[in-house]
Amino acid sequence: MIGTIHNREKFLNQIASSLNRPRISEPLERPNWKYQPQYEVFKGASQDELLEILKEHCKKIHTRIHTIDLTELPAVMNEVVTEYGGGPVVTWKDERFSKWGLDSLMKEKWPSKNIDVFEWDYNLGEENVHKAENANVGITISEITLAESGTVVLFSDKDRGRTVSFLPATSIMLIPKSSLVPRMTQAAVKIREMYQETGHVASCINFITGPSNSADIELNLVVGVHGPIKATYIVINDL
Amino acid sequence: MAIKIGTEQFKERVDNGIHDDFMRGAVASAQDGMSMKRRAATTEDLGNWEEWRNHGEEIRQHVLEHLDYYLEQLSENVAKRGGHVFFAQTKEEANDYIRSVVQKKSAKNIVKSKSMMTEEISLNAMLEEEDCEVIETDLGEYILQLDEHDPPSHIVAPALHKNREQVREVFEKKLGYTKSSNPEELAYQARVTLREKFLAADIGITGCNFAVAETGSFCLVTNEGNADLVTALPKTQITVMGMERLVPTFEEMEVLVSMLTRNAVGQKLTSYITVLTGPREELDVDGPEEFHLVIVDNGRSKILGGEFQSVLQCIRCAACINVCPVYRHIGGHSYGSIYPGPIGAVLTPLLGGYDEYKELPYASTLCGACTEVCPVKIPLHNLLHKHREVIVEKEGKAPVSEKLLMKAYGLGAASPALYKIGSKIAPAAMNPFTSGDKISKGPGPLKAWTEAREFPAPNKERFRDWFKNREKGDKKL
Amino acid sequence: MKVTLFATCMVDMFQSNVGKATVELLERLGCEIDFPESQVCCGQPAYNSGYVKESKEAMKRMIDTFSDAEYVVSPSGSCAFMFKEYPHIFAGDPVWEPKAQSLADKTYELTQFIVEVLKMEDVGAKFEGNVTYHTSCHMTRLLGVKEAPMTLLKNVKGLKFTELPGKEQCCGFGGTFAVKMAQISEQMVDEKVRHVEETGAEYLIGADAACLMNIGGRMQRLGKPVKVLHIAEVLNSH
Repeated sequence: MIGTIHNREKFLNQIASSLNRPRISEPLERPNWKYQPQYEVFKGASQDELLEILKEHCKKIHTRIHTIDLTELPAVMNEVVTEYGGGPVVTWKDERFSKWGLDSLMKEKWPSKNIDVFEWDYNLGEENVHKAENANVGITISEITLAESGTVVLFSDKDRGRTVSFLPATSIMLIPKSSLVPRMTQAAVKIREMYQETGHVASCINFITGPSNSADIELNLVVGVHGPIKATYIVINDL
Repeated sequence: MAIKIGTEQFKERVDNGIHDDFMRGAVASAQDGMSMKRRAATTEDLGNWEEWRNHGEEIRQHVLEHLDYYLEQLSENVAKRGGHVFFAQTKEEANDYIRSVVQKKSAKNIVKSKSMMTEEISLNAMLEEEDCEVIETDLGEYILQLDEHDPPSHIVAPALHKNREQVREVFEKKLGYTKSSNPEELAYQARVTLREKFLAADIGITGCNFAVAETGSFCLVTNEGNADLVTALPKTQITVMGMERLVPTFEEMEVLVSMLTRNAVGQKLTSYITVLTGPREELDVDGPEEFHLVIVDNGRSKILGGEFQSVLQCIRCAACINVCPVYRHIGGHSYGSIYPGPIGAVLTPLLGGYDEYKELPYASTLCGACTEVCPVKIPLHNLLHKHREVIVEKEGKAPVSEKLLMKAYGLGAASPALYKIGSKIAPAAMNPFTSGDKISKGPGPLKAWTEAREFPAPNKERFRDWFKNREKGDKKL
Repeated sequence: MKVTLFATCMVDMFQSNVGKATVELLERLGCEIDFPESQVCCGQPAYNSGYVKESKEAMKRMIDTFSDAEYVVSPSGSCAFMFKEYPHIFAGDPVWEPKAQSLADKTYELTQFIVEVLKMEDVGAKFEGNVTYHTSCHMTRLLGVKEAPMTLLKNVKGLKFTELPGKEQCCGFGGTFAVKMAQISEQMVDEKVRHVEETGAEYLIGADAACLMNIGGRMQRLGKPVKVLHIAEVLNSH
């Protein structure tokens, strides 16, 4: 569907006239910026160094972090969910869960222990949001992970609902170690490359850094306001 | 509420501010804490912070110089993704368009995430006239809204002037809250009450931190996650942006977001930075079905191209507010504007006029603390000075007594002969007011000075006399 | 080295002891001092209040006054910075802009001159006492002289230094601000006085007569025992 544009010409003509020149009609090249300090930050850091930076920063953002091998994943996931008080659990529909050996945990073990697991299913429409709203734990996967700020990057699509990461009371983010980059700079470059290749960006890209918080009352930091109250990162060694 | 807050005159507002002990304590400790956090966040890891500032400045200046181009590109790309774009030259046009969307949707329940632009156009008042329930979902804004629309006093921490006990009282009165004034418990109450509102909302309204021209995206920066719920749950989303708040691509957005969060709250990134492009896609379950982007001028094109253009570089981080020694003592409400502090003192007279706001450019010692911290290098104190020049020379709004004094100054200071006579007779002229080495009750403009401090009596022997006598061979001290 | 002194009107009329100390100090450091009689005010009070036209006349007189000087040195960061602003103020003026630029290029604040031009970090001063130092805004932020006064004070024998809390905060002077916004100015200087007291210093030192007149005037009114000294006076003690 194509949207609509109203009132544009008069508005933009006014701007050009304020700038004392005619409207720009030729395509503009992206400028060669004089300063580019952002590429220097953690330049050349190895994945292991980036992991250390991430772990260190998690201390500041009220986020638990586990670094594990793939074989340990089911046990660690189970431990975290149990610690968070069990289900209901809501997850994206993502084949990586199965690939990472989580089928027996998510489809057998948890249901047998009365931990309800709901997998996002767009055919069910609104039902998905209600499930997310009532869930205790939401589980998502980081596509790009920013070491500097301890940030996971999530792309929404039909199988990956936006609300899985912020309606449940707690949040577990799975981080493939290979997704680690120094900072937001590399994520921006990557997203831009994806856009230039496919002409598309996800309708919602979330850069999430730990649980939600607010300092609006006397500048006292309160963890857990509208989004999750607790968050855990599980870094999977996939390298 | 538009840009103006309160009805009192400047002097009265300042007087109220100065006598509000809680507010002043809160502001001082916020400033001290934030200064430390900001300094740490801008030096930690980032390498050469001055290079970042230079880059921030060049991005913002480039965008302003090519604003029509990038807005055109943005609107094309939003429409390509199925969004509707409305260009509003005035706040009335913006409100009319939003009203028409509200009416078409028969919307009654609206949730909002924090947006200075919507404050500027008095959007809530219009929506309330339409019988809508409008809920501000940023915790600080929500507190103010519950407290009979108490105006914000800071652009990042709007309820900075309120203490926890006051918040508890508001919650008790308006929400039947029965628990303590512990911020955790208060925030939990807000979470529970607002969750219902999010789920029931027909329309979500947001501001815009930065729009990305290349992809037709825009980003929202929060810590609470409220903007995510505002944009994920209601079926219709309206985003209102000031026309200057955009960047060419994701790469520039990233730079400015990094600078914004560090300067605004001392964090490397805030908890939630959300980049949205168009409405939900086919088969998506959450996110809005309909997306409207309202791009607002409201006086900005008059600033563009003129001597105040650089104020449009602002990314609303409030770093200038957090270091301003004047804001520190008078608080946000004294500025009588939704934009307080140095940025407010520059921007408000431009948007709201000199008649209403002629004092603001003088509410500064021109100490330059604001200019020193501004991440996009707006020469704030120079712009304050520029305002004074305009008020005196173009607007003719300076007080007559001051004009006469400055005329006399112009004559006296420019003429060595007059200056010499004036400074020579000063001790005699000041004699009636002098006791010992000081003047405690000065005449004319000195009166205001000597209300709080002593003024030194002029030296009987001026420095120049001493020097001259000394040159003549009289080297006694 | 030949130094032309820009004493500032404040020092000329109210703080002649600062002028004297500056002359004696620079002479002791081997400079020959000249004081052109035709110097007036740098124009800052009127300029900062928005009276640009009125202030330009004073500025032109100052530019002419110092046209032959090799180095112009001033015991005030704020007034020295005003000279640095002249080229911007006369920007586009074919006659006065180049003259203003040449004045700006040879103007130094006193401590800056000692450290950067005379290349001295120890002036051989001796001063017994607990001191703190007020970093004036115009001198540190606008003129960009941050280290020089600290470097020189550090090498004064007998001097015990305590850093002033909140030192980056303005004292509330701000030229006509102090009278136009007297109520706010009072709050600002009060906080500054509290900070000075917290250090327990016997002396407050500064490099700008105007800030010192503000803080000193408030302390005098409140009956505080802290004495106020210009840095030239401290560096001139031996």
